[in-house]
Amino acid sequence: MKIWSDKEKLSRDELRKLQFKRLKKTLNHVYENVPYYHEKFKTAGVKPVDIRTLEDMRLLPLTTKEDLRKNYPFGLFAMPKNKIVRYHASSGTTGKPTVVGYTKHDMKVWREVIARIATMGGVTADDTAQITFGFGLFTGAFGLQQGLEKIGAGVIPMSAGNTQKQIMIMQDFQSTVLIGTPSYALHLAEAAQEMGIDPKEELFLKYGLFGGEGSTEEMRAKLNEAWGITATENYGMSELIGPGVSGECLAFKGMHINEDHFIAEIIDPETLEVLPEGEVGELVITPITKEGLPLIRYRTKDITRLDTTPCDCGRTSARMAKITGRTDDMLIIGGVNVFPSQIEGVLLGIKGIGSNYQIRVLKKGYLDRIEIDVEVVNQDLLVSVTLLDQLYKEIQSKLHTTLGIHAGIHLVEPKSLVRSEGKAKRVIDLRSENL
Amino acid sequence: MLINQLSVFIENKKGHLSKITKVLKDAQVDIRAISVFDSAEFGILRIVVDKPEVGAEALKKAGHVVKQSYVLAVDPSDKVGSLHDVFALLSENDVNIEYVYSFVMPNNQGSPLIILKADDQEKAIALLTASDFSLIPKEAVYNVQKG
Repeated sequence: MKIWSDKEKLSRDELRKLQFKRLKKTLNHVYENVPYYHEKFKTAGVKPVDIRTLEDMRLLPLTTKEDLRKNYPFGLFAMPKNKIVRYHASSGTTGKPTVVGYTKHDMKVWREVIARIATMGGVTADDTAQITFGFGLFTGAFGLQQGLEKIGAGVIPMSAGNTQKQIMIMQDFQSTVLIGTPSYALHLAEAAQEMGIDPKEELFLKYGLFGGEGSTEEMRAKLNEAWGITATENYGMSELIGPGVSGECLAFKGMHINEDHFIAEIIDPETLEVLPEGEVGELVITPITKEGLPLIRYRTKDITRLDTTPCDCGRTSARMAKITGRTDDMLIIGGVNVFPSQIEGVLLGIKGIGSNYQIRVLKKGYLDRIEIDVEVVNQDLLVSVTLLDQLYKEIQSKLHTTLGIHAGIHLVEPKSLVRSEGKAKRVIDLRSENL
Repeated sequence: MLINQLSVFIENKKGHLSKITKVLKDAQVDIRAISVFDSAEFGILRIVVDKPEVGAEALKKAGHVVKQSYVLAVDPSDKVGSLHDVFALLSENDVNIEYVYSFVMPNNQGSPLIILKADDQEKAIALLTASDFSLIPKEAVYNVQKG
């Protein structure tokens, strides 16, 4: 199997030297060009010159999503606006998404790391890739598109949804690679079967590159079986670059981190201390080749562990295990990151609901699903079933337009929701109960 | 000529109708007419009872959402086409019927009565009265002579 870049085969020593050099450059860059970081470093009593080895990184302050929110929209950018050639953003409730920006150089890095993970997953210049991520402010679709074109593969930018057309194009264009969230890929397989098309016999897919939400080995088995493909998972987030931070090779021993571009650490989410290799904790990433938005020690809130033992594929990079959880209450619903507080924000903005609702988070198969019970307390809704129906649809459409999620809505009788100490419990997480 | 109707929100779940009828039974409230308008998951139960105030209070106390509103009770007389005459009369005069359900009063020789909610109730009353349809007064509905 081909390895895209020689950088993926550096000895651990060479790699660490390169990482250190790039880290120093990045630290100087943010220290000089991002006042917020300058202050943050000062408060922590550390200067770029104090970092003399890679291990000294632990002296640097951590960055969180909160830092990005505080600096909305461009406060953490390290380059002037006229050097930014691309913007992306994640969802937010009150019109305050997390904004990221890329310089020309950053775009080059992004294409490079995607080219690598696509190659890891089996994709070559001979392939035709169908992208089912939505093209827009989210990073997934554009990231994959550019990197795939870099390796010479053909790209079909289908975007999200339009399931029947997806299948038609997949068949007529003879797509060989499917790209999207694992949940949507499973949904597509079912849709193909419903259309009377056998995905294994009548379609041409060979590989699937999946990301945007976590998945399990069981889910991989399902994807492979349903489509007759070899499915790999890749990882990233817009704050760091988008997809491209890491990806699985065909040895399936974890996701190879593009370590010459990203330094990975695992910390104890409570003490914030760096943990020894192999231990499970929160992943912290420092991009070391970015110009536009170089974050220092960004807390991903994802729980995993690292492994630098040699991989059968020949790459020397550290591999991260599948994400096993989060250190905050963020939910990933169909590839969309959402916090319960954002859902509450939307519900509170709808007239007639008040505090009489309950968000339940469930596992349906392998996927997170949100169900919202809304107590009907307003007697004026009893004029007609249509009014009740409208409330139901309003909740559903507001959640979709504001947060991009689909939630199951149930109108329930008053006082039927579980209350603790007389107060309604707003969020109930049932995911661990019905695994 | 208007009759009190109680509308109650119900979930389409096993046992939810009986929860409501139990409340009414315990409050000694007699149901005259009943109908459920529903979607897949929820519905509105509409009832005409002998003591609307008592019924509404009891249901509210039991935690239900109750709305009191007014409907018409019409006796279309028991012959072919009479119901059509009622509907045609209202429609020709631009009165919309929002919903309708029927019930039988024991002392009415088995002839069915209809409960009707129009968008313009006053106009409906005027039209029906002028065309000699008999509207049942609320006293007659509330105080049925059993036997």
